[in-house]
Amino acid sequence: MSLASFVHWLEQRDWAMDFAGSAYFYPIVLATHLTCIAIFGGMILITNLRLLGWVLRSESVSDVVGRLRPWKWGGLVLMVTCGALLAGSEAGKYYGNPYFWTKMTLLALLIVHSLVFRRSVYRNTAELDRAEVMPGRAKLAAALSLILWIGVVTAGRMIGYYEGPVPLADSVTPAGASPR
Amino acid sequence: MFIQANALTQAMIDNDWLFPAAECVHIASFALAIGTIALVDLSLLDVGLRRKAAAQIARSTSLWTLTGLVLIIFTGFLLFASDPDMYLRNSSFRFKITCLVLAIIYNYTIHRKVALSENGSGIGTKLVAGVSLALWISVVFGGLFIAFV
Repeated sequence: MSLASFVHWLEQRDWAMDFAGSAYFYPIVLATHLTCIAIFGGMILITNLRLLGWVLRSESVSDVVGRLRPWKWGGLVLMVTCGALLAGSEAGKYYGNPYFWTKMTLLALLIVHSLVFRRSVYRNTAELDRAEVMPGRAKLAAALSLILWIGVVTAGRMIGYYEGPVPLADSVTPAGASPR
Repeated sequence: MFIQANALTQAMIDNDWLFPAAECVHIASFALAIGTIALVDLSLLDVGLRRKAAAQIARSTSLWTLTGLVLIIFTGFLLFASDPDMYLRNSSFRFKITCLVLAIIYNYTIHRKVALSENGSGIGTKLVAGVSLALWISVVFGGLFIAFV
C-alpha cells in the first residue's frame, strides 16, 4: 500500500470526516497544539538555555534535565497526538505540502539529535555538573536543538500558508463553459 | 497613533513576508515568555522543579520572560497593524487582549509576590499558580481563535 493510498484511506474514515465536519474541533486541537508549544516548547527552550549556562544556574543540570524530562515527554505525546489529529483531518492537503514535509524532516533530525547526544549530554548530566566549564559538546547539543526546534515552529506555521499548485484543468476555462 | 498605524499597515501590506515572519517570532517569543512563567507556576504547584526553587527560578528567568513579552508585544503590534479594523472588530482578539493585560498585570503583582516569597505551599499558593496558567492559556486560545470566529 503506498503512502498516497493510505492518506486517501485516512481521509475516508468516519472519525476523520467528523473532525473535518465539526467546526470547532480543528481550532481546539490547534490551540492545544499551540499551548503545548508555549509550555513544553518553553521547557525545551529553558533546558537548552541551561545547557548554554544562560539561565537557572542555581539549579543543577541534572535537576533541570531530570525533573523536566517526564513533563517534556508527556508534552511530546500530547503534541504528536494533536499533530496527528490535525494532519489526519486534512490528510489530502498535508500530503502535498512542502512545509509539512520540511517539519517532519526536522523532527526526524531531532530524533537523531537526541540519540547522538544521549550518552554524552542528556544521560550524562552528573558529569556536566561536575565539570568546571560546560563542555563544548553540551553547548553544541543545546545550540543545534534550538535551531532545529525554531525550524519546526516556523515550518509548522507556514503549513497554513501553502496553497498548492492549481491543477491545469481548473486554470483553463473553455469558452462558454462555467468555472468549476 | 492612527497615522503611524496607517504607515505601518502599508508596510505590512507591501511586504507580504512580514506577516508570517512576525507570526513565527510571535510564537517563538511566547514559548519563551509563557514557558518561563509556566516553569515558575509548576514549581509553585510543586511539580517539575521543586517548590523551594520557585523564588530562584523566578529571579533567574525574569529577564528572559521580559524579553519574551517585549517581543510578543512588538510582533503582536505588527500583526495588528496589518489590519487594525478587522482585529478591533474580532471578538476573539478583544478577549485575547483582555486576558493578556490581566495576565501581565497579574504576573508583575500577585504572582511575583507569591513566587518570590520563598514559603507558603498551601491552597492559596497553588491557586495563584493555577490562575496564572489559566490566564496565559486563555491568551493562546484567544489568539488562535481570531482566525476561526
